[in-house]
Amino acid sequence: MRVKLNRWKTSLAILFVATLCVAQSPTAFITTDIRRAGDKLACLCGACKNTVGTCQMLGCHYAAPAREKIAELQKAGLDDEKVAAFFVKREGLKAFAVPPAEGFNAMSWIMPPVAILLGLGGIAWWIRRSRKPVLVDELPAGSADRVRAELDQEMAKFD
Amino acid sequence: MENIGGLCLILAFCLGVYSIFASVVGAWKQKPFLLVSGQRAVYSVWALVTTASALLVYAIMTDDFRIQYVWAHSNKAMATIYKFTAWWGGQEGSLLFWSFILSTYTAVVVFTTRKKHEYRAMMPWITSVLMFTLVFFLMLVAFVEHPFRILAIGRAATPMDDGRGLDPLLQYWTMVIHPPFLYLGYVGFVVPFAFAMGSLITKQPGDGWIHTTRRWALITWAFQSTGILLGAGWAYAVLGWGGYWGWDPVENASLLPWITSTSFLHSVMMQEKKGMMKVWNMVLVAATFFLCILGTFLTRSGVVSSVHAFAQSSLGNYFVVFLAVGIGATTWLILNRLPYLKSETQLESVVSRESSFLFNNLILLASCFAILWGTLFPVISEAVTGEKITVDAPYFNRVNIPIGLFLLFLTGVGPLVAWRRSSADALKRAFLMPTVGAAIFMSVLVALGIHHVYAVISFGLCFFVTATIGSEFWKGSKSIAAKDQVNLLRGAFELTHRNTRRYGGYIVHMGIVIMFIGFTGAAFNLDRTVEAKVGSTFKLGRYDLKVADMKGGENENYVWNHALIEVRSGGSYITTLKPELRKYAVSGSQTSNVAIRRALNEDLYLNFAGMTADSKVILQSYVFPLVSWIWVGYWVLLIGTLICLVPSKIKLQYAKMEVVGIARQAQPVEN
Amino acid sequence: MTVVVLSLFLVIGVVTYTMWVREGDLPLPAPENPFRHLEEIKTRIYENLRDLQFEYRLGKLSDADYQSSKLAVQKELGQVLGEIDAVKQKLAAEGKTVATSVPGRKKPQTHTCPHCGATFKEALKFCGECGKAMSA
Repeated sequence: MRVKLNRWKTSLAILFVATLCVAQSPTAFITTDIRRAGDKLACLCGACKNTVGTCQMLGCHYAAPAREKIAELQKAGLDDEKVAAFFVKREGLKAFAVPPAEGFNAMSWIMPPVAILLGLGGIAWWIRRSRKPVLVDELPAGSADRVRAELDQEMAKFD
Repeated sequence: MENIGGLCLILAFCLGVYSIFASVVGAWKQKPFLLVSGQRAVYSVWALVTTASALLVYAIMTDDFRIQYVWAHSNKAMATIYKFTAWWGGQEGSLLFWSFILSTYTAVVVFTTRKKHEYRAMMPWITSVLMFTLVFFLMLVAFVEHPFRILAIGRAATPMDDGRGLDPLLQYWTMVIHPPFLYLGYVGFVVPFAFAMGSLITKQPGDGWIHTTRRWALITWAFQSTGILLGAGWAYAVLGWGGYWGWDPVENASLLPWITSTSFLHSVMMQEKKGMMKVWNMVLVAATFFLCILGTFLTRSGVVSSVHAFAQSSLGNYFVVFLAVGIGATTWLILNRLPYLKSETQLESVVSRESSFLFNNLILLASCFAILWGTLFPVISEAVTGEKITVDAPYFNRVNIPIGLFLLFLTGVGPLVAWRRSSADALKRAFLMPTVGAAIFMSVLVALGIHHVYAVISFGLCFFVTATIGSEFWKGSKSIAAKDQVNLLRGAFELTHRNTRRYGGYIVHMGIVIMFIGFTGAAFNLDRTVEAKVGSTFKLGRYDLKVADMKGGENENYVWNHALIEVRSGGSYITTLKPELRKYAVSGSQTSNVAIRRALNEDLYLNFAGMTADSKVILQSYVFPLVSWIWVGYWVLLIGTLICLVPSKIKLQYAKMEVVGIARQAQPVEN
Repeated sequence: MTVVVLSLFLVIGVVTYTMWVREGDLPLPAPENPFRHLEEIKTRIYENLRDLQFEYRLGKLSDADYQSSKLAVQKELGQVLGEIDAVKQKLAAEGKTVATSVPGRKKPQTHTCPHCGATFKEALKFCGECGKAMSA
């Protein structure tokens, strides 16, 4: 009896979970073409930093319909650029996964290399400044022997 | 009880302010009584903050749902260990936790330096800087985000039956220790900063303080690394898509101070060995500290959108003021003290270890800047252009992969260049074999059919660095083994023990290399999402996966379903995996419990993502090559760091000058 | 009621502990050592030298590199020793005495010149530093 009850419960549980599930089959829209186009587009669900192509949240409220849309647009013969343009028109520039390299947003790409160049400049400046020739070329006459003596004495302790 | 908790916090705040006052005035007017009192205030504050924390934890443990914080972050069904984590699970509690850790650190600093003469002059200032930071957080806890607030309607306290509890995704063991480790890291960087400021204010001529600071920075660095890795490990094992790093603003925020402190740990050697780059080290210590505060600010203010962020709050403005005041004061202090930060020696040659440190710093900071820039760019761009844009993972990958690879290259080059100068001949001797070896290794990889450019470069560099580190150990141990008449292993041990910092550092580098191997594996990830009936099979990579069975059940916490997946490869049975899907009773949220077959070559990762209307299992299946190397690399890194902390065996003692029989009083005037 | 008592107890206890500092709680005055910074530099130079020698032995340095680096170290050492001497002379002028300590082992018997403060292992008639008579 107990076993039976458990089984009954189990099937109920399965049913219960099943009712939660996505009505639209999500796997239909995971193809290489859709992923390629989707990789240019940000998933705007607010919880991840992935692209529409790589978002792994099943039934994500942004990525899943977006993939569906991409499939539809691709069917209509649009290439990746035009697909992206469609989303930008709908969502604004934030639909792109990365900032477009135009206008002010190009700064996002320009600044890191510029920072490295500035740093290189800083290093060059520092090296030039720190590489002054050593002023004392020889040890002061009186102390030379003493320095050498002390040096030899300490060096003898090394291994 | 909540009254006493509140009282403790307010009292701690007042004593913190007093401690700053007593230390500053005591140091300024030379009043030893005030100085001692200022130090005692540190212990008092620690006792008070600890009491307040204990009261909050007690309230959580005893399900005191009158208190809003307890109600919002705990519930009766939670296991004790997860109840404990509710201490830092929310905004108010985590600020209290921050204060608790900082006051503990402060007390430890004051206690460990109490008998050290060399810190006598600096201590009041160190205390003030630490206390200033602590007072800021205590102010937030005591007056802005009070953890002991009572749930009330009108004036009557209204106890609730049960709390809202902790997100089930967070009820996982690494999540118990991930926040404390990160906080230990974040907060720990305040200590080096305080020492640096103390030495600047008192115009310390020597670098004695820098040894202490370096040790603190190293310990803190280890905490921070651990915290970050625990977070990554959690994300990998729990979130269901096998990602361990998402370039989320809060993740980035934890990485930034880690990078600057890594950079400090390198360039500090320039100061210790040659008395150079003192200004730069000050800047790095300060940058690390302010990046920690910035990270805390990003997490709590809601300026950038993030999964980790606490609920929107008004805390942002306080942090902005704190950062502005802090950065302003520090900049002024460093500029004012420039004459005391002059280099003691000169750069003798451009081809030298000294220069390699410069490049190491440049590249580390470049990656730090790129990450910070990418994290803040959406905010900046919106402010300038008025239009929202997105900076997602592809941006960070594109910018940071080349930087990371170059850094890996430097990891191999730096340690082989000698201090002061390295002639072309010496360089050739050091690098010929590793370079040739790496080139051959890369050609073999290409011949084997690996055409992913970054991956080939990365593996090649990993080989190169391993070869250089290996040769360092090999030459050193051979020399010692020959001299002391011991075997090679003993020689390697002796070698490491004689200079724990250098050889420990090499082991840390090795850990980084192993982690890079793991990161590179991501270039070969495979994934497949299927809808499968019980009994059906599908292929992923070299695996044949069969949905053998599906079971379900429930307990008081959740309803569960799991699928039994038989894994075969080339016809032979490997294992059966059991990914699970749960629905929690209280929160109604649905989570999956992934099944992972971990192996050094690749992980097979199955996620029971859901079910279709016709009872098919939706299964997300992945192969993650080499991902385990990341976790292995972490352990190597940790061991290396611990070795660095062991004092070297031979610390040669040198004759020292001392003044004997000096009178403290002024010399009597003659005649 | 209990809350009030506990609170009072807490406040009084903490404030008393913090504020009530007696004479005996003050730390002893720190010994002054004008040589500390210079000694730090000297120690650093020796450590660098030791490192240099070991790396040379491992074959990481060419002969020329080793020789010129060693010379540079010598110069640094000369400079520091010079500065130490200057401080010593200044102290001697102020009538303070200076001693050399060898930490770790038992203090060996040293002989200090009363005029310039230089120390020697063996007893000398005349100071090897300043040339004045060391003992009556």
